[in-house]
Amino acid sequence: MIDLPAPDRQVIARRDQIAAALKAIVPDGVASDPASLRAFDRDALTAYAQLPLVCVLPATAEQVSAVLKFAQREGLRVVPRGAGTSLSGGALPLADGILLGLSRMNRILELDYDNRCVVVQPGVTNAAVTRAVQARGYYYAPDPSSQIACTIGGNVAENSGGIHCLKYGLTTHNLMGVELVLINGERLRIGGKFAGAGGLDLLGIICGSEGLLGIVTEATLRILPRPPVTRTLLIAFSGASAAGRCVAGIIAAGIIPAALEFMDRRCIDAVERFCAPGYPPDAEAILIAELDGMPAEVADQCRDLSGIAGQCGATAIRGCADEAERARVWSGRKAAFGAMGRLKPDMLCMDGTIPRAALPQMLEKISALSDHYGLICCNVFHAGDGNLHPLIVFDCMKEGELERAEAFGADILKLCVEMGGVLTGEHGVGVEKKALMGEMFSDADLNQQQRLKCAFDAASQLNPGKVFPVLHACVELGRMHVRDGRVPFGNLPRM
Amino acid sequence: MSQRIEIVSAGTKRDLGRSVGATAILDMSRIAGVVDYRPEELVFTAKAATLLSEFEAMLAARNQMAGFEPADWAPLFGAAAGKQTLAGVVAADVCGPRRVKYGGVRDHVIGCRFINGAGELIRAGGPVIKNVTGFDIPKLMCGAFGTLGVLTELTFRVLPRPQNAATLVLRDCAPHAGLAALIAAAQLPVEASGLAYCPHDTTPYSGAFIRVDGTTAAVSEKLGLLKQQFHALDFTMLDAVETDQLFRTIGDGSVIGADGDIWRLCVPPAAAAKAIARAGADVWYADWGGALLWLRMPATAQSAEKLRAIAAELGGHATLFRASAEARSTIGVFEPEPPVRAGLTKALKQAFDPHNILNPGRMFPYL
Ligand SMILES: Cc1cc2nc3c(=O)[nH]c(=O)nc-3n(C[C@H](O)[C@H](O)[C@H](O)COP(=O)(O)OP(=O)(O)OC[C@H]3O[C@@H](n4cnc5c(N)ncnc54)[C@H](O)[C@@H]3O)c2cc1C
Repeated sequence: MIDLPAPDRQVIARRDQIAAALKAIVPDGVASDPASLRAFDRDALTAYAQLPLVCVLPATAEQVSAVLKFAQREGLRVVPRGAGTSLSGGALPLADGILLGLSRMNRILELDYDNRCVVVQPGVTNAAVTRAVQARGYYYAPDPSSQIACTIGGNVAENSGGIHCLKYGLTTHNLMGVELVLINGERLRIGGKFAGAGGLDLLGIICGSEGLLGIVTEATLRILPRPPVTRTLLIAFSGASAAGRCVAGIIAAGIIPAALEFMDRRCIDAVERFCAPGYPPDAEAILIAELDGMPAEVADQCRDLSGIAGQCGATAIRGCADEAERARVWSGRKAAFGAMGRLKPDMLCMDGTIPRAALPQMLEKISALSDHYGLICCNVFHAGDGNLHPLIVFDCMKEGELERAEAFGADILKLCVEMGGVLTGEHGVGVEKKALMGEMFSDADLNQQQRLKCAFDAASQLNPGKVFPVLHACVELGRMHVRDGRVPFGNLPRM
Repeated sequence: MSQRIEIVSAGTKRDLGRSVGATAILDMSRIAGVVDYRPEELVFTAKAATLLSEFEAMLAARNQMAGFEPADWAPLFGAAAGKQTLAGVVAADVCGPRRVKYGGVRDHVIGCRFINGAGELIRAGGPVIKNVTGFDIPKLMCGAFGTLGVLTELTFRVLPRPQNAATLVLRDCAPHAGLAALIAAAQLPVEASGLAYCPHDTTPYSGAFIRVDGTTAAVSEKLGLLKQQFHALDFTMLDAVETDQLFRTIGDGSVIGADGDIWRLCVPPAAAAKAIARAGADVWYADWGGALLWLRMPATAQSAEKLRAIAAELGGHATLFRASAEARSTIGVFEPEPPVRAGLTKALKQAFDPHNILNPGRMFPYL
């Protein structure tokens, strides 16, 4: 269950008038009839749906600015949306909110090889960036599995990762600048083709802000020259804990693979049935390791990594002979989410991160929870950085299964925090994990974060109801500071 | 009247930024000590005023390093080297040449604890590398010069130390050719971890410098690729030890020398040659592939106007890095903010330090 801010009936009653005003700003991009709005009623957290009040699809930053100015003047809520692939409900609409879709702003504005960057509009898909530069031997490193669909605006808002972020970083490490439109319609450039901030690092907090601080209308992204050699190894184990030990061993040996992915028995089975990537049939767990760089360097690292895997009891180590085999091995990993559909109609994808050393212990606990809740959980991890994706499969139509699946998921995330980890590694808090924020943060921590939000959006109009378990009015947060820093009832838990 | 508190740890960079006009000094130097170092997790947590040298020695003992290659600017400000603390490095954004490969300080601070201006102890980020839970406040603390909070604890991600390193030196190249060589090198798949250029009469080094690192096999392969690229130019090579010395000098700014005012100008690398020609500094050199220009130029209103016009035209920002306290206060240190951005900065200050007591005025009159 999630609770969103109570819709304002008076706003809903003004739907037609609001749609007309938006049409005056974006003549060819407003939808307000239920049939058209249906297409935007949820993101990839499919269990929750809500028709927005209206949907507006601007084509320019000027239009975004005008829409926000209008929204601020009228006191309306705004939910930004890219491609709607968020797994945490970040783009879940509000009944009284304008859904602001950025997908039409999908032009690549500039390819600048001398400064090793590209400038794109927010609706450009992640994969389109690499496609635009690959003929010149470049690529854009962050590669979420959703990359053919998800947008750069969404990637910036979620600080998305991907299979290769172990070596090359998340979106935040590859983002050089943005144009941001604030809720009052003002446009602001932050960063660019140069290093450093020249003031506070606003770019650092924009990235990963889940649409709560402003609308990204342009992004400058770092591109990298493609490494000359890439080698992919498929390593099988007779037990998950051996695979966990192998991961720790690789990192301890000073090897940072480009990717290091883990799958457990259940996931391997599901994927084999789905797309037959040819994983070893008797494996209890597999690791997919990818090494890239210069030829001799990669050869050395493959040898060292295979040695470590052998010491950890690997039952098979297979190097991919050619590009076709490599693509096949990765196809299984990339299809993992889709393959769950063969097991049960619905799936919840968890996203906690834990210290790598806790992997084996975590797997045992998840298995015990799976028995406890009577639900299947398949494990696929970005093992190299301890980012877990337990996939809980269930059937929404069966009485109580959604609730059980959510409780199971919440238990996993609480365990992550207990083991010294965090609630979300790359999918964001959204609506999905906001109730759990208190597991990780104190009231003071959360209030500080909300005050940061207030600095950008004092009336909480941008994506309200996301990230924070309790939404305080900004004036209420400000009032804590009265009387010379002496907070009233300083020794009681506040709010 | 509320207090104006200047936050000091080792105090090696008190002359960087505008002066605070403190009514009180908060000496943080006792908030020190390693909390948790897990080499196998590549994560290090310590109290804020832990010495950088202690951090680096512990990492070196486990064949690891800080990816942002912290420089030591203390001698530039007439202070002793080797005394700076983690909090100082983070707050002043002290990042060395390795930034071209691994990013800046902000890319390596994954968690922190700090005390905000209302006296509350706040925790942000966490002890794992991959984390998007809540706003990325640790990044905001990097380079904020203590204006938003008093750092008490920091968590870094650390990296394996490469087995070997070497530098290809292109001797005798004029600024235009030297800076162009850095751009060409950045486009090769050698993952250069240092790209610097010092013009002809600079001591102790001059030339274009391209550092590569990795396994011994990787280093020789990368050098091979570079030699192929620059075969028509006059080059030599530096080994790992010489490479280390060279890039330490580059990061520490000592190339500029002990005298004179210093500006740091950040521009898009491909615009560096243009920026240099226009700036007219008498001593200068380039780091970060041309993205960072160290300039010896007088701290005058004319210099400020010239450099800020260059930054505005080419994209980037200029910082008055070393100058008298008076010049820093009148001319300003950091790139002046346009009104919309200044509005946000003020609102953030209010959100973290509502009484304006933490290093007030250190970055801007309002921050
Ligand atoms: C099959 C599948 C696989 C996935 N794999 C990965 C993965 O490997 N790694 C990973 O990190 N994620 C993954 N995701 C999650 C998701 O794809 C990412 O979070 C992605 O970045 C969302 O992009 P989007 O364009 O779909 O954004 P949306 O889902 O439309 O929006 C996401 C959030 O961003 C905000 N937003 C969108 N555009 C803007 C803008 N221009 N300005 C401001 N705010 C904006 C929205 O309000 C919302 O809060 C996966 C999802 C699916 C369905």
